Amino acid sequence: MSKHTSFNVLGKDTWRQDGIAKVTGREKYASDLSLPNVLYARLVKSPYPHARVKRIDTSKIVDPTIVTLTPDEVPDVIFCSRLVSIPSSTYKDWKVLSNKPRYVGEPVAAVAAESEEAAQQAAEAVEVDYEPLLATFDALESMRSGVEPIHSNIMLADDWIKVENNIACTLDIVEGDPEKGFKEADYIVEETYRTNRRYHTQLENKSVLVRPEPDGGVTVWSTTQTLHNTRILLHEIFGIPMGKIKIIKVPLGGSFGSSIQVNTPIPIAVALALKSQRPVKLSYTREEDLHDHASYQMIFKLKLGANKDGILTAGHLDAYLDIGAHQVQAYPLLGCVVGWWVSLYKLPHKSYMGKAVYTNKVPACAFRGYGNPQMTWVVETMMDTLAEKIGIDPLDFRLKNYIGEGDLFWGQGPTVQSIIQSCGVEEILSTGAELSGWYERPKAEDQTGRYRRGIGMGRGYHTSSAGAPVPGSVIDFGGAMLKLNEDGTFDYVSALMDHGGGTMDANAKIIAEELDVSYNMVNIVRADTSTTVYDVCTHASRGIYSGGGAALKVAGQVKEKIRAAAARSLDAYGHALKFRWDPERKQAVVYAEGVMGREITYEELAQEMRHKNLGTIATVDSYRQPACPPHFTGYFVEVEVDTWTGKVKLIRVIAGADIGTVINPKLAMGQIHGGFAQGWSMTINEDTPYDPVTGDLWNHGFMADYKLPTPLDLPDLEDFQVFFADTYEPTGPFGAKGIGEGALNPVAGAIANAIQNALGVKFYTLPITKDKILEVIREKEVAL
Amino acid sequence: MIPINLWNTHIIGKPFQYHQPETIEETIKLLSKLPNCKVMAGGTDLVPKMKQRLLEPEHVVNLKKISSLMGIKETSNGVWIGAATKLRAIEKSELVKEKIPLQYLATKTIGSVQIRNMGTIGGNVCNASPSADGALGLVAQDAIVHIAGSNGARDKPIAGFFKSPGVTGLAKDELVTGFTVPKIDNDTGYHFISIGRTALDISTISIAVTITKKNGRVSKARIALGSVAPTPIRLNAVEDYLLGKTLTDEVMKKAADMVSKGIRPITDIRATAAYRKEASKGMAMETLKIAWIKEGHR
Repeated sequence: MSKHTSFNVLGKDTWRQDGIAKVTGREKYASDLSLPNVLYARLVKSPYPHARVKRIDTSKIVDPTIVTLTPDEVPDVIFCSRLVSIPSSTYKDWKVLSNKPRYVGEPVAAVAAESEEAAQQAAEAVEVDYEPLLATFDALESMRSGVEPIHSNIMLADDWIKVENNIACTLDIVEGDPEKGFKEADYIVEETYRTNRRYHTQLENKSVLVRPEPDGGVTVWSTTQTLHNTRILLHEIFGIPMGKIKIIKVPLGGSFGSSIQVNTPIPIAVALALKSQRPVKLSYTREEDLHDHASYQMIFKLKLGANKDGILTAGHLDAYLDIGAHQVQAYPLLGCVVGWWVSLYKLPHKSYMGKAVYTNKVPACAFRGYGNPQMTWVVETMMDTLAEKIGIDPLDFRLKNYIGEGDLFWGQGPTVQSIIQSCGVEEILSTGAELSGWYERPKAEDQTGRYRRGIGMGRGYHTSSAGAPVPGSVIDFGGAMLKLNEDGTFDYVSALMDHGGGTMDANAKIIAEELDVSYNMVNIVRADTSTTVYDVCTHASRGIYSGGGAALKVAGQVKEKIRAAAARSLDAYGHALKFRWDPERKQAVVYAEGVMGREITYEELAQEMRHKNLGTIATVDSYRQPACPPHFTGYFVEVEVDTWTGKVKLIRVIAGADIGTVINPKLAMGQIHGGFAQGWSMTINEDTPYDPVTGDLWNHGFMADYKLPTPLDLPDLEDFQVFFADTYEPTGPFGAKGIGEGALNPVAGAIANAIQNALGVKFYTLPITKDKILEVIREKEVAL
Repeated sequence: MIPINLWNTHIIGKPFQYHQPETIEETIKLLSKLPNCKVMAGGTDLVPKMKQRLLEPEHVVNLKKISSLMGIKETSNGVWIGAATKLRAIEKSELVKEKIPLQYLATKTIGSVQIRNMGTIGGNVCNASPSADGALGLVAQDAIVHIAGSNGARDKPIAGFFKSPGVTGLAKDELVTGFTVPKIDNDTGYHFISIGRTALDISTISIAVTITKKNGRVSKARIALGSVAPTPIRLNAVEDYLLGKTLTDEVMKKAADMVSKGIRPITDIRATAAYRKEASKGMAMETLKIAWIKEGHR
């Protein structure tokens, strides 16, 4: 189904409602906010990667106005900071402050003072005696017997469970008969891969401002992707009735998943505010933020079998997830990792053994793609290897095996399954092959000299939400409120968060499309937990598919209410009335076609209803999406490798995306450009190595040694081509799907394959740094 | 145990006294009398070090009001650059591009535009980082360091100025006032390249080369490398090897091998020692080739 022609608002580039505030610097983020009488908080953090706190002495603080907080003073509640799973799948091992720190930087105490300087001096004056414990920084090593246990007992739902060998949780799955499947294979490849552990580098550091209320409640302004889960967790920890906890929506300065859980500083600031009965602000420094979250490092042992016709017959995956010191969402991740794997290509027989392992490192959390970029890098690398073995073109190999329309899709793991109803994979691959000159690409063996060219491709997808026809272990629903204002505009109220990609604007456009108004007549309201219905979290590329689904649902209901009210006003049959946008009056008009005088604008209708005391047209509702349609992406990347320095230069990028109906083309392309830049950096640069001597991050959290690409490292815009497949998702709002995570997922695979194609060698660890490239070149004695 | 609770890049956690003299003389007086004192020019190295508590000076003397420390002038024996001259001003200077173009190349990739707008050449040198590209340019061009102090002014060749990372030969009551860089003549080819993790990065390795030719043979060669030893270094053995030679591929390859063997890199977060040994070869090849081909700077 073609999509472009019939829309009034969708598919056009439109201004963001917050655009002017953002480009002029007038937008206020959590870290910009303050309140009269505020106290500034600082943390006392563990300098050891693993230790027991023996004693905390605050007596050296000379300033009597300083407020201190120690582990004894916080509620004795074990919690999970990420509330996305049903209770029986939620593992809990966090406390507000820890008396057994498990990574360098874990908060063990906090102080609050009249100024940041005074708070800093107070934090330095706090003396903590530690009993250092042995620490481990590698997932495989951590599982060995005799290694110091990081957690002895944790909670699953409301029950204590014992942790064995530092294994946080496991998930094993078998489908079909893998042994038989491998017997049917003519070619089998088996390799071990290890990914990097990246820092999100969202623009805004974690920050929170808390105001204690006279009724015992708290009002919270914080960096978060989820207003409602923040409220639920604060209720769980502090026992404050939910109605007295108000989480206010504040513009989010980027996240990439780092605020998917309730941020560590939030409960600490709440505890300080409750103790001091004064507003408390806790803004992380960048180095604290780097000590707060990272992506999951994954070690994969993957085995794939295929027959000589190029059909996959079986697969086995061992996955070891280095989750760091705490579980944010390790168990659902085990499900997603297998989901990401088996939903790329059809595997009639497959088995999976997944283990999430504690290490004494910064806790890992979701990072754009939630393990999918890691998994897809491995699969796409191995698909090239296997294709070479079979003697089939890697792209043709993919076309023979990909999972597409009509196939069962595991989406977000084994409990979230649905059937794919829209698929642009073939269009992406065929157009990309044509634009990149895929079948004429340079071969490693034909090249000599300093510079080598390679073209690589990688394809992938991400789910749009975690929806499905039946409930699973993952919670995913949202909601919205919409009301008609007295001037014919609308207020759109939702707990969704815009991470910077334009989610709320997209949903305003969906409402505008449904209600035949100009997109800027739908006002995006910055709301809070008490004025919005529950929304799980803005994650899983669900902002448009789920959030937009909710927006469309309430828009449809409002439209029917407008229809009924107009029918009464116009003395017409409601079902016979039509709607149109009148650009001259700048109003939507409801009218009886062909009958003079029987028409009324939204403004006239709302005014009339006010004057006659008929009420406000408004609706509020929740929405559960029936599926989690994958949005598909594919990248064709040309690189040039300098065999003298190991530097890789990007020559050209061709990116194709199937996101269903495109709502705002420029913003959608922006997601792809951004996803590519992040994937480029993931492939060749980023990592957070640890110094085993100190147990700290090697860069100590300083950005000077955590490098990100700038535009100077990326191709010129004319060498970066983006195209959208012509698809329509029947379950999505006006045919739309997500894009946020799919924009990143296949990038590492595509770039790694390009480098590998240029040099004729394979890489099994990320990042593929210039050091590693030079090492491999020398080992293989690639001729200069 | 790492001092994690001292770090706070929101603020400078340790209070200090701030001074803003307006003359060199006044500055020298302050330096000689104040204990635990640091000179600040652009602050791009000093302020992060103070925020990270690597330096905790009690006194900071800011040079920004001393106009005699700023500027770029042609002199009889070269180009004078004031110590507090912004890196961006050097990069933008036509005089620098024309007379000491190697300094232009070595300056224009330092940090970002924002860093170069703040940072100064004197700061780049006195911070004494082995990775300072501005300093490397001066080392490769045999610049003279002009120093003022309680006992009067003195000049010193830049080669011996650096002692170890962060340490120079400056006495407590001394201040670098400027540099004189000899002009690159028409018989001299030159080149500078650096490699980093990204385009905006502290150099992982940098190399600056000049080759002076007479009758198709090398009459003078200068090879300087950064980030491969505790200070920016010159490789005299390689320079001597090249003397009197025509730079064939074979000669350059031999010289590049000598470069690789002559450096003393360490493994740090930016690269391994092995990488630096290997990549310096290719970088030496590239710079020698270009410096040899480039006839003068025009």
